[in-house]
Amino acid sequence: MGLKKLTEKISDYHVRLDSGKASKIKPIHVTKVLGKLQAKETALKTEIAATEQGEKRQRLTRKLDIAQTQIQRAKHLLQAIS
Amino acid sequence: MRKYYLPIVITLLVVTFWVKPDIQEIAAGIAIFLFGMLMLEDGFKLFGSGMLERLLTSATRSTPRALLFGIVSTTVLQSSSLVSVITISFLSAGLLSLLGGVGIIFGSNIGTTTGAWLVAGFGLRVNISAYAMPMIALSIILVLQKVKGLRGVGYALGGLGFLFLGIHHMKEGFDAFKDQIDLAQFALPGLLGLVIYTLLGALATVIMQSSHATMTLIITALAASQISYDNALALAIGANIGTTITAVIGALSANFQGRRLAAAHVMFNAATASVALVFISPLRESVDWVSALVGIADTDYALKLAVFHTIFNVLGVVLMLPLLKRMVGLLESRILEPAPDISQPRHLNKAVDEFPQTLESALRKEVMHLYENAVDIILHGLNLHSHDLYKSESIAATVRHSRRPIEMNIDADYERRIKTLYAAIFDFSTRAGDTQLDPETAVRIHALRDAATDIVHAVKSVKHLRKNVLRYTTHQLGTTTELYDALRTEIARIIVEIRKLEHAEPDVRSALWLDQERVQIEADARNTTQTIDGLIRSHKIDATAATSFLTDSGYAYDAMRVLIEAARVYYIERDNALAEVERLLTLDDEDIVAGSTRDLRQQVTAPDHTNVAKDG
Repeated sequence: MGLKKLTEKISDYHVRLDSGKASKIKPIHVTKVLGKLQAKETALKTEIAATEQGEKRQRLTRKLDIAQTQIQRAKHLLQAIS
Repeated sequence: MRKYYLPIVITLLVVTFWVKPDIQEIAAGIAIFLFGMLMLEDGFKLFGSGMLERLLTSATRSTPRALLFGIVSTTVLQSSSLVSVITISFLSAGLLSLLGGVGIIFGSNIGTTTGAWLVAGFGLRVNISAYAMPMIALSIILVLQKVKGLRGVGYALGGLGFLFLGIHHMKEGFDAFKDQIDLAQFALPGLLGLVIYTLLGALATVIMQSSHATMTLIITALAASQISYDNALALAIGANIGTTITAVIGALSANFQGRRLAAAHVMFNAATASVALVFISPLRESVDWVSALVGIADTDYALKLAVFHTIFNVLGVVLMLPLLKRMVGLLESRILEPAPDISQPRHLNKAVDEFPQTLESALRKEVMHLYENAVDIILHGLNLHSHDLYKSESIAATVRHSRRPIEMNIDADYERRIKTLYAAIFDFSTRAGDTQLDPETAVRIHALRDAATDIVHAVKSVKHLRKNVLRYTTHQLGTTTELYDALRTEIARIIVEIRKLEHAEPDVRSALWLDQERVQIEADARNTTQTIDGLIRSHKIDATAATSFLTDSGYAYDAMRVLIEAARVYYIERDNALAEVERLLTLDDEDIVAGSTRDLRQQVTAPDHTNVAKDG
């Protein structure tokens, strides 16, 4: 889940944008989605703290891992379009 | 009756043209005027590109706003009929309340009076055709452009030009006609004249399906002294009654809400007309008083008719507004919402076909209806109850305790609750694809259809599971029961997660959350094979049961994948730029596999493979 693939996707987005096949993304759009991901991260952290050790906690930790990966990608996207 | 209507009207017109050739110009004027209105409508549909629909949704949060929206939109569009039809569509799609819809209709009745002012104040005073010709000539250049907005402006400009040209020909027609026949000789005084001319005004509007055209005809005839002022007042009252026919026709294909609105329109216009007829003398006096106040000459009957039209429509709104809530209550008690039939489409009807926003919204609601039916069948097919799951602290524990078989015929339920709805969604979205949608809306419509297909596939997958779910989960049969319980738990967990997304505030939720479930599904799917291998080696399960389970787990994971995909499509941001951000950030299949493999590595190191029914 590296950033290299995201960079490729952003390049593809620019091609689609130039040919009028994509909507223009502004930093505010990325910030809004980033906010939602961060809200989920906070909720997951709270839920993990309230969950005893076990499979459920492992599952939540994995979810947190994905959410943090997406946050990292959103920040990279924000930089790329700013 | 309908099949005789067209031949009768055409025959009457041909005979009239033959007997009185001068009527041709008046009739052509009406035809050009109506053509102009159609062009104006088409122009606004192209030019507006959903603007009117967006305004409508936000403008009806309170009764005064709805009233104002009705006034402004009808003034701009110069067609109360169009505003009524749009309102019925939006009401049928559940995008506005009945109270808001009735408010718009009230406002529309005031807005329509601006047409009379346009004709009486402008159309009769200047050489209107001098404006019409260049407008029509310029419009055709714009209509031939590829850019949708320019084409829309072209249609609107052309429509206005044809409206003016129609008024000009009606005026010319009456001027020529009065040299041949004096229609004024048919003027009827007193109550009889009032009643007959009111009925004539209503009939003319029903035939032309436009009170605006009728009012223009009345004003031009009045200016040419072909009808008396008294009879013109009655004709104007009749036009207000006749105009409700468009709403009634529009409501025939609408749902119960659309029919309520059409009934409100008829009640309002009939009540206003009754008040106007009863108080015609004081109304006439008030027209004289207002006319004198604003400097309208005592003999300028065309403008005085416009004053009358405005006064009696405003009076109607003033009288009916305090009764608005009572009227809505009466309509809700008289025109009942039909008992919901879960097997039939609830939101897809012809009334929502016409506008992109109502079309998409209705389709979205119907897909949710299909999903709700599917979830019922899926959970019952797995011997689970939604109410137990949704309040459960531990899904795995709830599943383990759900051993009682649920009586159902899954094939019959599929036919009854899924197939009919899916067919309706497919048919509706295909028809929608044939209409002129903007590319973004078209993409969303197709995506919703694909989501419906995914939901149907999920139900079909669970149909395959049903036999072994009954065999292995209604009694404790050791490891095999645990394996099937694990599958049931995973499907149930996906349904619960999707429900959380549905219940989250739109400003907070993101379809990206579903990536967490996608990674989990792939990790669990990979883990299943390893778990089965371990169980065979340790002789806890025989090869026959193992292969049977692996086939079933394939169906189960397919069901989970398509449910997640359907939810992703359904909950993706509707704002195109935000949706683009989500598409860029979402994990693609390679990322999901990488993420799930990492999970697998973590699980491979876990000590106990046989603990298959996990907590959570």
